[in-house]
Amino acid sequence: MEQRMFKADGIVLRTRILGEADRLVTLLTLEEGKFEAVARGARKIKSKLAAGVDLFNYGHFTFHRGKTWPIITGQDTIKSFSCFREDPDLYPYGIYMAELSDRLISGEQPCAEICRLLLEGWKLLGEKNTDRFLLCRSFELKLAHISGYSPHLHSCTNCGSEKALAFSPRQGGLMCSCCQAADAIKMDPGTAAVARRLIKAPLSQSSLVRLSDSQKKELACVTAAFLTYHLDLGEIKSRRLLAE
Amino acid sequence: MVYPGHLKKLVEALTRFPGIGQKSAQRIAFYLLGCSREDVVAIARAMVDAKDKLGFCQTCGSLAETDLCIYCSDSKRDNNLLCVVQEPRDVLVLERTGQYSGLYHVLHGALSPLDGIGPEELKLDRLVSRIRESEIREVIIATNPNVEGDATAGYLARLLNPLSVRVTRIAFGLPVGGDIEYADDLTLSRALDGRRVI
Ligand SMILES: [Zn+2]
Ligand SMILES: [Zn+2]
Repeated sequence: MEQRMFKADGIVLRTRILGEADRLVTLLTLEEGKFEAVARGARKIKSKLAAGVDLFNYGHFTFHRGKTWPIITGQDTIKSFSCFREDPDLYPYGIYMAELSDRLISGEQPCAEICRLLLEGWKLLGEKNTDRFLLCRSFELKLAHISGYSPHLHSCTNCGSEKALAFSPRQGGLMCSCCQAADAIKMDPGTAAVARRLIKAPLSQSSLVRLSDSQKKELACVTAAFLTYHLDLGEIKSRRLLAE
Repeated sequence: MVYPGHLKKLVEALTRFPGIGQKSAQRIAFYLLGCSREDVVAIARAMVDAKDKLGFCQTCGSLAETDLCIYCSDSKRDNNLLCVVQEPRDVLVLERTGQYSGLYHVLHGALSPLDGIGPEELKLDRLVSRIRESEIREVIIATNPNVEGDATAGYLARLLNPLSVRVTRIAFGLPVGGDIEYADDLTLSRALDGRRVI
């Protein structure tokens, strides 16, 4: 028989109002994957749960299996990422990472790796010397990699030629001028090298990468098109509000 | 359960109210059946009238029956003071305290990138021009004390600080009547930040 009570360490990805005073919280947990749970009374000012089930919270949760959703019976905060509350510029970036992770994980598959990536991404966003642009690109590429889709960035995806100056989202990699794909976007070898480095190096090193404005533009186009094509993410609403 | 058709329809309609389940809906339905026809018509009319006649104030976004709400058109209110809230019902809650006599501005939401709500959707430029063209000296930001509300407050503060107004955030603290022992860490640390001399 399934246990009526269970525990998990998780992150609040999203919260919405349920009925009069409850909240329905989307949690990304290390042990049980992604699921929704009810925080009863969490809209009330005197609620003990309210702060713990607010966006960006990472904590130990306990649940009771309910009819439709698990009911949150307890919560202990591990980290609350208050930087996103305090800095309105940072806030959309935190949400963007949450939205990408949310879209990528379809159900209750274990996703500890994505959880850790998201926690690391949020932590770095809150640090002073972080390059938010590079961090986000690195985060996108790593998410794709974890999900089993890494762009082919060493040579032409089709013929293996090293003189590849464009990227085809559909083919999932670089293209040379002979093989040309209809959806190819310009991507110079320098940009491809940066992308390779962003996939390989830890997130914390993404800010060390140097690139020109035009390379930045290329990288943004390529990662956005790649993610949209391969990960079936649909519209990422929070992307529009990033200052890029 | 087999109901006569119209009773079934009424019960179904009533269960759409927040907090009303099947049982309560049945009770209300029988209550209505027990009322005189005039009373039932009066109740129904009150609902339809409220829906038809209430709109939003052109100036502040509060509930209003004309272009201008009762707060904006009241010359006795303090027009140096403006309180920014998320929802029209927040205005009613603040009014209930009887402590506030300034003007209001209703955002009809908070910054929420997940729902595609940014500064444009909240029409913040209208708030800025309203403040510029008025005698407002202090803006009290009373958005909800959650991540969305706090981020909105931070954004507003940055937007409004260059104008010559004082921008304040409503205080956070312990709920009245509770025990400190049960307060969560964030509430308690904000209550410490917001302490004052007694
Ligand atoms: Zn080729
Ligand atoms: Zn008004």
